[in-house]
Amino acid sequence: MTTFRLGIDIGGTFTDGALVDEATGELSIIKVPTTPGNPADGFMEAVGRAQRDASIDPSSFSLLVHATTIATNALITGTFGRVGLITTEGFRDVLEIGYQIRPRLYDIFQSKPTPLVSRRWSYGIPERLDARGQVLKPLDEHALRIALGEMKAGGIEAVVICFLHSYINPVHEQRAAEIVREVFPDAYLSVSSEVCPEFREFPRASTAAVNAAVMPIVSRYVDDLQSRLTRLGSHAPFYIMQSNGGVMNADAARAKPVYMVESGPAAGVIAAGALAQAQGHRNVISFDMGGTTAKVGLVIDGQPTLSTEYEVGSQTITPMGEGKGSGYPVRTQVIDLVEVGAGGGSLAWIDAGGSLRVGPSSAGAVPGPVCYGQGGAQPTLTDTNLVLGRLDPDFFLGGELKLDAAAARAALQEQIAQPLGMELLDCADGVLEIANANMMAAMRLISVQRGYDPREFVLVAFGGAGPLHANALADALGLPTVLIPPAPGVASAVGLLMTDIKHEFVATRRELLAEVSPQELGATFADFEQRASALLATERKDWLSISLVRHLELRYRGQSHELQVVLPAGDLTDAELQRAHGQFEEAHKRAYGYIAPEDPVELVNLRFTAIGKLPKLARKEFEQGSGDPSQAVKGTRQLWFRGKGEEIECVVYDRYRLRGGDTLQGPALVEEMDSNTVILPGYGARVDEHGNLVISRA
Amino acid sequence: MPSQINSPAKQPFLGDGLDPVRFEVIRNALVAITEEMSATLRRAAYSTNIKTRGDFSCAFFDRQCRAVAQAFAQPSHLGSLAHIVPRSIEKYGADNLRDGDSLLTNDPFTGGVHLNDITLITPLYYQQELFGFMANIAHHVDVGGGAPGSIGISTEIYQEGLIIPPILFVRDGVIEDNVFNLIRSNFRGVHEISGDFRAQTAANRLGARRMQELLGKYGAQELRSYMDALLDYTERRAAQEFSQFPDGSYSAESWMDGDGVTDEPIRFTMTVHIDQGKLAVDLSECDPQRGSPTNATFSQTYSAIVYVLKCLLSPDLPVNDGLYRLVDIRTRPGTIVHAQHPAAVAAGWEVAVNLCDLMFKALAPAMPERVVACGKGIMCNLAFGGSHPETGEYFTYYETIAGGYGATIRNDGMDAVQAHFQNTENAPVEETEYHYPVRILRYEMIDDSEGAGEHRGGMGVRRDYTFPGHQPSFSILSDRADFPPWGLFGGGEARPAKYILNPDGEARELPSKITFTVKKDEVLSVQTPGGGGCGDPTTRKPEQVAADVAEGRISLQRAQDVYRVAVDPDTLELDAAATARLRG
Repeated sequence: MTTFRLGIDIGGTFTDGALVDEATGELSIIKVPTTPGNPADGFMEAVGRAQRDASIDPSSFSLLVHATTIATNALITGTFGRVGLITTEGFRDVLEIGYQIRPRLYDIFQSKPTPLVSRRWSYGIPERLDARGQVLKPLDEHALRIALGEMKAGGIEAVVICFLHSYINPVHEQRAAEIVREVFPDAYLSVSSEVCPEFREFPRASTAAVNAAVMPIVSRYVDDLQSRLTRLGSHAPFYIMQSNGGVMNADAARAKPVYMVESGPAAGVIAAGALAQAQGHRNVISFDMGGTTAKVGLVIDGQPTLSTEYEVGSQTITPMGEGKGSGYPVRTQVIDLVEVGAGGGSLAWIDAGGSLRVGPSSAGAVPGPVCYGQGGAQPTLTDTNLVLGRLDPDFFLGGELKLDAAAARAALQEQIAQPLGMELLDCADGVLEIANANMMAAMRLISVQRGYDPREFVLVAFGGAGPLHANALADALGLPTVLIPPAPGVASAVGLLMTDIKHEFVATRRELLAEVSPQELGATFADFEQRASALLATERKDWLSISLVRHLELRYRGQSHELQVVLPAGDLTDAELQRAHGQFEEAHKRAYGYIAPEDPVELVNLRFTAIGKLPKLARKEFEQGSGDPSQAVKGTRQLWFRGKGEEIECVVYDRYRLRGGDTLQGPALVEEMDSNTVILPGYGARVDEHGNLVISRA
Repeated sequence: MPSQINSPAKQPFLGDGLDPVRFEVIRNALVAITEEMSATLRRAAYSTNIKTRGDFSCAFFDRQCRAVAQAFAQPSHLGSLAHIVPRSIEKYGADNLRDGDSLLTNDPFTGGVHLNDITLITPLYYQQELFGFMANIAHHVDVGGGAPGSIGISTEIYQEGLIIPPILFVRDGVIEDNVFNLIRSNFRGVHEISGDFRAQTAANRLGARRMQELLGKYGAQELRSYMDALLDYTERRAAQEFSQFPDGSYSAESWMDGDGVTDEPIRFTMTVHIDQGKLAVDLSECDPQRGSPTNATFSQTYSAIVYVLKCLLSPDLPVNDGLYRLVDIRTRPGTIVHAQHPAAVAAGWEVAVNLCDLMFKALAPAMPERVVACGKGIMCNLAFGGSHPETGEYFTYYETIAGGYGATIRNDGMDAVQAHFQNTENAPVEETEYHYPVRILRYEMIDDSEGAGEHRGGMGVRRDYTFPGHQPSFSILSDRADFPPWGLFGGGEARPAKYILNPDGEARELPSKITFTVKKDEVLSVQTPGGGGCGDPTTRKPEQVAADVAEGRISLQRAQDVYRVAVDPDTLELDAAATARLRG
């Protein structure tokens, strides 16, 4: 029987599906409207559409992978569960005080994010450990029971437990958890030493509280999806994308939903990494540009870079830290993304001092760009691309939406070009350059500022608008190669099918690296391994090949920011730890430009990731052509390019008629339903054996 | 939302030969460079104060020492660098510098602030010609002097630590060992400071490299003309916004508790003159400087005023010389807001933060929709140090504690945040207890501490310390025990600060400025003020009052007496009928 894998990514406007035939690797695309009321409806509609389009039986799904923003949306819109907090006496405001800072420096009208736990349901319970984990004051079980009784009577759904210093000794948290299970068995329970056993009480408590807050909604959602899939007749393993780029099964999602807060954007980076790797590229900048923002991620040596400094629902946090404290910190690993307010809907405007600006305000989907003719009055990036000839007014979304080029031109002319005293096309080109400069800054932030040279990376561009801008960005930053996958608009859904199962563990253990006993370290990792095996035991064993990754998080003693190094597989020895020391110095030199050989290196966290590798998909053989793309030519169009001073005639290609091996000369434009690719003068593109467009200098 | 003008103008704003696109690209590139410097400094630093609490800022100055681009973690540094850099360069002489050099300074009387804030200035050359300066300023936990953390009850600058005039700290890219050793011998906590100085050096080095790249792309002449345009652009925008302020002279006064040496309160008076878009702040009638640490240098005063201006202006307005040109501050040298040598200045930021609240108060009648009631109104400098009871190593620790933010006519003040130009993070209790011989017994918000109002002020915070097994020296340089934060437009005062020894035993109130020894098993409770309220509290929505009562922020009694709202003591729900009777 033919079997299929299905990836479903729910976005703000569309629910995207990618259906792949396991045997042939053939990909079909599904797009249905998102159903914000109950996203599960849109999900099931996409599943149904996949079935009908491919005329397949529900039982022939072999794997379902899902990316969802349900947890994040619940937090942003405040529709999360009623949570009660059990913490150490004297610290009941740990979540509200947070970092004690204001997210914006000069705004006297701002507010803190809505607390996840009402102060009414925050209880300080007598108990205390010292910084080494010694019990100073025993847990007052009586006080705890009274608090739980009040919570139960008050309609609390989820309980979060976070005591001071529990990361080093969870004895009181474990005992409190037992009591919760005993007296309040219906409550969802989130224990900080289980969810996030890292030091620093606020981020740990916040992680556990985010987890508790979304447990009810995620559990109901996952239950609903599973029962509907079962009713449909699908028994395929069902996985949910995590923020760290791995997937987890429904049970794990119910227990640790905090791991899926950045479910959606992670899939795009995974896709970019996997696509590039298939071409032998290990280092990738992923560039996902949609309607309102552009997201840039980094893949180093085949692995997406991860960050543990993330806040759910925050404004963008600037390098200065402004914006910090505007969301809910979570200390799980999240694929590191830099996001800028530059998308197709970003507005071009002139500020009060006469400077031309692009974004961050966006016309969004409603009213949208001027050229959509749906009420948008201010020129956007999409209007600009249209004026410059980069979009075909009659072939936008495959012709579904006719664009009003005259209106776009008039808006840009009257509102921007004329006030600035510029020619229309010069001005449009300027708008493009400013937007590109903003995106370049994001790319520098994630590469140069992390100590990596962008010239050693491949740029993988996707999202509706990514391929329009990718070549110009690569040119400016000196990236030698740009790769545009087929169907760039749904690359994230495709990425879902390229993931592996991941379980993460962490322990804080602060001691000097030179004094660490490799045996003890090994024992902690062995314990993690055992727990990971138990979790992976429930998966289909014939599928999985398991790999384990061990990280140490190190810093010079006295610093408070750690750097990660990888430990190789096998027994730990002093020599391995010495190598880790060397790796740390290398990373420190790259990140900060110096090392401090006289300072001792301190171990802070042990991090362990168990990866259950899912079998990789067969890749469809892309039809090979003669190398001559002329059969794909749709016509020619006048395009404006920076510095040329006049419009240049460009060949327009139909992406669906291009064949493997075809080579294109820039300037050229490649059109497909969900995106257009611009190839600059001086560049060329080759269609590779998987149908990717590979752009490089001619 | 930035204001947008899309109406046709008669001529381009930016001047002849300047491309608006290139202008925007360069403008963003310059800010990105200072932000990248900051990211480097923060991540590479060692001390909790710089790393976790973010107590530093970075900037780029042109060769005329005009601030062109700045990135602030702490707005308190807004005006500081703008004075330190030109004064230091003038004093040392730009001609005495060469490529690879860096100057170090913390001299309060050469444009500086207090001694803990140390500035590193690195000249930038392009094609053998001076193009500008990279600079950063960072708060070091200890710079020597009479008390751990270098904050104590000093009477002249010489007691506050090592004074560093502008001196060569880096030559040919290498830190001068002799100078560094001298510094290290004077500062407590040698390990941290080495890392922090290296981080400061790394930040300027990186900034210089990025500027070189930008210069390589545009050339010196072109970049200079765009930088000039950027300063003019900022001035034009700021002036345009000032011109919308209503003309008039607006005065107010405020007070500080005693100065730590005497109990005599300190008086500040401010008059803001607005005349057709020209804005002048007159502080010349403020009290004379004191023989105590409660004196601000002119830079500190300047920073406070610029902070408030920045709050009044569009959020996306750049901060550079174009704005500074428009700032007219009138002081008398030798006063509390313009201290002269040899004044002690360790608590100068306490003076400056008072000025922020005062300026909003002065402007309240002129622009009620743009001001905020008095917030916690203190920096709340706390430091302790001594010999570690286990290792015997000398330790020193510094922190500040949040309090309430003031309310506005639009919204409640935030609970438990830092004040105005101060935005330093707290150090986690787990980290503090791990690294230092201290136990934190309580870190919570204080019930009934808010200033009442239609919009209430934020809540103050309480942090209790005890020191098992040893008796460290503890310094408090704070304020507002005697003069609580005020409300606006009928809003109430907040609870003042309290500094209490043994709050749960034989309690003893301490003054807001003191250095003393904490004895074995004693508990020190630092309790910061709430923020002032805005508008009549009896017009606050009863549901909001009831919600605050249910959450234990406001007591039943206070709800009834001050807000005239009745809440059922059992269900903690609003008693609408009784409230109606109370409000009559």
